Amino acid sequence: MNHRCLTTLGGLISAMALLAPGFAAAQSNTNATTKAPSAASIVPRTPDGKPDLQGVWDFKTITPLERPRELGDKAFFTAEEAAAWEKDENRRQNRDLIDPETGGLNYPAGGVVPYNEFWYERGDKTIGSRRTSLIVDPPNGRLPPWTPEGKVKADARAVTGRETQLGRPKADSWEDRPLQERCIMGLNAGPPMTPGAYNNNVQLFQSPDTVVIFTEMVHDARIVPMDGRPFLNIPQWKGESRGRWDGDTLVVETKNFKRETSLPGSSASTHLIERFTRTDANTLLYEFTVTDPTTWTRPWTAVVPMTRSEDPIYEYACHEGNHALAGILAGARADEKAAQEAAKKGSK
Amino acid sequence: MRNWRRRTTSASAAAVVIAALQIGATPASSQSDVYKAPRTADGKPNLNGIWQALNTANWDLQTHAARPGPVALGAVGAAPAGLGVVEGNEIPYLPEAAAKKKENFANRLTADPEIKCYLPGVPRATYMPYPFQIVQTPKHIMMAYEYAGAARTIFMDKAPASPADTWMGHSVGRFEGDTLVVDVTSFTDQTWLDRAGNFHSDALHVVERYTPRSADALTYSATIEDPKVFSRPWTISMPLYRRLEKNAQVLEFKCVEFAEELMYGHLRKQTNR
Repeated sequence: MNHRCLTTLGGLISAMALLAPGFAAAQSNTNATTKAPSAASIVPRTPDGKPDLQGVWDFKTITPLERPRELGDKAFFTAEEAAAWEKDENRRQNRDLIDPETGGLNYPAGGVVPYNEFWYERGDKTIGSRRTSLIVDPPNGRLPPWTPEGKVKADARAVTGRETQLGRPKADSWEDRPLQERCIMGLNAGPPMTPGAYNNNVQLFQSPDTVVIFTEMVHDARIVPMDGRPFLNIPQWKGESRGRWDGDTLVVETKNFKRETSLPGSSASTHLIERFTRTDANTLLYEFTVTDPTTWTRPWTAVVPMTRSEDPIYEYACHEGNHALAGILAGARADEKAAQEAAKKGSK
Repeated sequence: MRNWRRRTTSASAAAVVIAALQIGATPASSQSDVYKAPRTADGKPNLNGIWQALNTANWDLQTHAARPGPVALGAVGAAPAGLGVVEGNEIPYLPEAAAKKKENFANRLTADPEIKCYLPGVPRATYMPYPFQIVQTPKHIMMAYEYAGAARTIFMDKAPASPADTWMGHSVGRFEGDTLVVDVTSFTDQTWLDRAGNFHSDALHVVERYTPRSADALTYSATIEDPKVFSRPWTISMPLYRRLEKNAQVLEFKCVEFAEELMYGHLRKQTNR
């Protein structure tokens, strides 16, 4: 976690957000930060006998959320294929190798590549299962088809996204910018957590009646009551979470989202089930199922293996360092002014 | 580095003396002499729960009369009068810093970082008018504050070196008897201590003490040391109360969206009418 960015990178965040639905496509390199401590298939337990899931977990990977279309029905790589794909994808993702004039990755020719490679800390390794996508259901490894409403939103997002990539962001007000750029929600912090450009780290805390899911992105401490209390049914940006144990798996149910989750296109009606299972000392299997009938025609499920890290969570003071949002708005105003002046000159 | 260490030690020694003097002072706090907190599974005092200060320290650490707020908010925005929480009620500013505090006070209705929903820093996070939750584990204690979704990890076991200056500080804790002692360093100079313009520099060093005084109350104190701003360490102390409501919980107060019009309103597109 060498060059973890401590201040906001609005432009970067916006660029990443635009890759939707292939925000997956923006994922790339993992370096496992873990020096495997002891030999470890025995899952440690807390004094009350529950699996001890505590510690810092790193969820960066180059395996995309959605299976790349060109892989068709191929659900798993062989070891050789995984190595080759990983190598190609790392080259493809390397922002320093993309010429804005000709474009590349998801960047159009003549557009803007907002940040160079230095700013990224995405994964560079495929996941251990060598599955070709994080999505395990639908079986084709792709997000389900949009509902009509989901499609309308996705099309609109594609247009505004392309405009931003061409250096013409819609920025009449901050409300035109994504929640990530406004530092309200983290790009990858969830819920649900999805590997992204940087800050792919989360720390879990367990007391007898509470679990805290503390994500590095936008310093979100999601407090999960484990005592069976009812939902309050008040809308919150990161929803309301309730937890329970299903055998050795921590199950967290989240609903009552205020607007959308960090999943591009999702709606307030999202119902989320997350499952955390410690499969060995160094692996936390994170599985989530998204049910959002407003957006997708069926529920879908992804599995992200998280790796134990010895590094601490850094403070990501996003809003406090958010010079980018003011810059984006000021830039849009300056463009308008220039256009007006040009028009005046032209009419003379 | 060595000087720093020495300063740290003397600061906590001073805090102990002051705390000891206080214990004799009121019958309420003498309970902490005898009260023994329930234990966690690893035998430590159990501080788990949702806590909140019930005072006016966030308006002004020192004893103060009620005063008006922004005109548009009338009585709603006014500051309530309050008893100070500073030992001796004096904050020992160096001369230049005293002038800066005065200026901050004059500009408080626009300059307080709380207005912009910035992270509150320590100790201010503790006595803002919002609850916070302690989630205690053997190696780390999580303190999750409702205001701005601020959070910090207190390292109880192996503490890494602080990687950078931060808004919420770098916290290293230990138990001394029933008291959780937290040493906090690595601050930015961007936070204030209250809405009255009390401030600090990036040399801020805070030693916090959380002592259970009954099942539902803690005694909190913080010794504040900052050689760039204050002539000597000084200490604040106050009770923190457990939120006893059935199903009490820390809710979401993501206040960024409430500050955006104020911060970016001048950059909004003006429509020609």
